[in-house]
Amino acid sequence: MTPTTTSSTNEPTSAPGTFPASAASRASAASPSFDEMIMFEDVSKFYGEVLGVNRVNLQIAPGITSLVGPNGSGKTTLMNLMTGLLKPTSGRISVLGASPNHPEAIFQKLGYCSQFDSFPRGATARGFIEFYLRVHGYATQETRELTYQALERVSMLEAADRKVSAFSKGMRQRVRLAQSIAHNPSVLVLDEPLNGLDPMARAEIIRLFRQLADAGMYLVISSHILHEVDMMSDSVVLLHNGYVVAEGEVHGVRDEIDEHPIQILIRCDRPQTLAARLFEHEHTVEARIHDDRQGLFIKTRRPEDFYLVLNKVITEHNLQVESVAPVDDDLNAVYQYLITSDGGHA
Amino acid sequence: MAVYEHLYGAYEGESHTAWSRFLVIPRYALREVFKSKLLTTIFILCFIYPLIAAILVYLHHNANALALLQINVRELLPIDASFFRTFLEVQGSFAFILTVLVAPPLISRDLANNALPLYLCRPLSRTEYVLGKMAVVVFLLSMMTWVPGLLIFFFQASLGGLAWLWANLWMIWAIFVGSMMWIILLSLLALAISSIVKWRVVASGALLGLFFVPSAFGEIVNQLFLTRSGHLISLWATMNSIWRGLFGLFVRQTGAVRGRVSNPIYDGQSVDIVLLEPPLWVSWLIIALVCAVCVWLLARKVRAYEVIK
Repeated sequence: MTPTTTSSTNEPTSAPGTFPASAASRASAASPSFDEMIMFEDVSKFYGEVLGVNRVNLQIAPGITSLVGPNGSGKTTLMNLMTGLLKPTSGRISVLGASPNHPEAIFQKLGYCSQFDSFPRGATARGFIEFYLRVHGYATQETRELTYQALERVSMLEAADRKVSAFSKGMRQRVRLAQSIAHNPSVLVLDEPLNGLDPMARAEIIRLFRQLADAGMYLVISSHILHEVDMMSDSVVLLHNGYVVAEGEVHGVRDEIDEHPIQILIRCDRPQTLAARLFEHEHTVEARIHDDRQGLFIKTRRPEDFYLVLNKVITEHNLQVESVAPVDDDLNAVYQYLITSDGGHA
Repeated sequence: MAVYEHLYGAYEGESHTAWSRFLVIPRYALREVFKSKLLTTIFILCFIYPLIAAILVYLHHNANALALLQINVRELLPIDASFFRTFLEVQGSFAFILTVLVAPPLISRDLANNALPLYLCRPLSRTEYVLGKMAVVVFLLSMMTWVPGLLIFFFQASLGGLAWLWANLWMIWAIFVGSMMWIILLSLLALAISSIVKWRVVASGALLGLFFVPSAFGEIVNQLFLTRSGHLISLWATMNSIWRGLFGLFVRQTGAVRGRVSNPIYDGQSVDIVLLEPPLWVSWLIIALVCAVCVWLLARKVRAYEVIK
């Protein structure tokens, strides 16, 4: 719910610890403690003279948090910083109280699922998961048990001993996911997990993410498939050119973009009448009749007032209304507004 | 129908001690190596010479066998520093062949698969990762160099008696250090190449080229300029010098030729040109420098993510 308007400091305008409702409900308290959050404090990463991310301040609560932005926006850099694969140039990162500088502590809490297949030639699903658990330091018996549990969680037990090279993309993604959750971490970092998946596989994977999030895990997902992020995320972090341009729940972010009036489509029988009446109110900025002349696009700066007026007009003129829906509060619109507005960093 | 609710909690049992965690990498890698019939066969073939050496040692101390063969093996091939240096040279060559076959894909395969982030998002450092990969080569090459070398040494000592053992105790050091120098050089070079080149065949070719091309070029330099300085660029020759040094067999002058010189003082007279090997310390320095460059390359290339500028 915090569109970031100052590029230099990137400070949230709301109080720290405010989360989207769904995520907040899972957090143990209104202001979760340091040990219950993933925190970025003034974190910057430069690759020589090239900016990775700059002065990032973030607090990530349980649930699904998506890092959204085009290629080069800093999504993967943020993830790599969180997992300790990169060291920040400045600032501090804490994952549930553990620093990425302490691998022994952090990697018991954190699982990482890369966007690449990374399967050795001839590997079976079970062998792949077991190997990385062994590298993690688990003994033979524990490795077997944890592998079984991980495969069970992603519904891959039946295919466990088949070669991964024969798997579909969806199955491979599930094996990668099993690898990352095998040691039962609390935080799961997933880099572009929906890439290259067909719609069925995507739906399946998203359902799995939802289950993990509902079980209290922190899922940090990077993606540029906005409508899917919109659908599955409890909160989003919008990135552009290495800066966080907004963070919070998608619709909350939209509400705070004042410079772009909310656009609403009203499907009704007499859009001309409706347009004439709505224009009498100062909060209506623009009205445009739909091409099929069965609808009206309205842009308003005060949606709450607008809906009150709309109810009144509908009653007074006995209009037949089919639907009323905002058309630009999806993530795509929000992202476009932010990166092209003054508040963004376009 | 029974419905079971599955709850998953974080693992709270004991895990491996941190220092031994990297050994998981060679354990799995060696399993892969021995899955290959070709590599297993070559590895077994590498033990033929140690077997022959052991038989020779036995023959030295078996009067009946000597009488039967009617050959004076004791004079023909004495069991001394030269015997063990030859052993090291032969086994060193086999070690090189095995390294060319086994080592190139060790890191390149992980780079090609983008698997490094998966390794490094565990409690495993980059150094431990490299050590793990290096351990694969170190284990295989140890099995065919210093391990059989020392076994033959102690076999000879058991037959030759305490006097021989005390007189030649220093050779334990020579066998071990000479082998380890070669193993470290080969493994670091192979891993460094593996971290640069993603294709196995190209990496193997590069490793072969690195040994043979400079050696050939060095020999050309030696012949053309009547010198031994060409050995400076040959890793084979450099390592041979070190082995000779360790076994007390190093001599700087390895030849002399008569040549005409155009120097006005001699005015076209024929003079003796002494061919001097580079000093021993230079050989040590070259090997140390090559190892340092390999470590530097590995530190640069073995990263979870490659930053492309």
